[in-house]
Amino acid sequence: MSAQQRIKEQVTGHQVVLYMKGTPQAPQCGFSANAVAILKACGATDIFTVDVLADAEIRQGIKSYANWPTIPQLYVKGEFVGGSDIMGEMYQSGELQKLLAS
Amino acid sequence: MVMPEDVKTYIEQGLPCEHIELVGDGQHFQALIVSAEFRGKNRVQRHQRVYQALGERMREEVHALSMQTLTPEEWREQAT
Repeated sequence: MSAQQRIKEQVTGHQVVLYMKGTPQAPQCGFSANAVAILKACGATDIFTVDVLADAEIRQGIKSYANWPTIPQLYVKGEFVGGSDIMGEMYQSGELQKLLAS
Repeated sequence: MVMPEDVKTYIEQGLPCEHIELVGDGQHFQALIVSAEFRGKNRVQRHQRVYQALGERMREEVHALSMQTLTPEEWREQAT
């Protein structure tokens, strides 16, 4: 299966998917750590995370999947939501909490 | 090493900006970008537009770029 197909299966197979560097317990980048903290602050408990450092094919493929060159990347119900800046802005405005609760 | 001034120039070359502020340490950068081109675009589309302006440099030279993207109207509203 190609990286694009694998990503598609991941983002459509789970409600909330976060592509990050490292794991929620041991994030390897400040932006990924921040993304996890935001999701936790929103009360999200069921987050499917993918460690791009553990999968070179996904790490490369995720950049073209949503035409987004950086990690972390958040997907909710198969839709690309944004990176850590956008997650932060949406958390501040309350939009992210609403999206995750819907 | 890439300086904030360089990243600022790269963005300005690819995107007409009304105002731009850029700070950073050579790897991580933070930007406030005000452009009329952001009108009618959502957050994701605005960031994609900046990444497009940076092109391959985003992959090769700039490790991380935090950004706030505003239209001229939103910027003026925020300043008041």
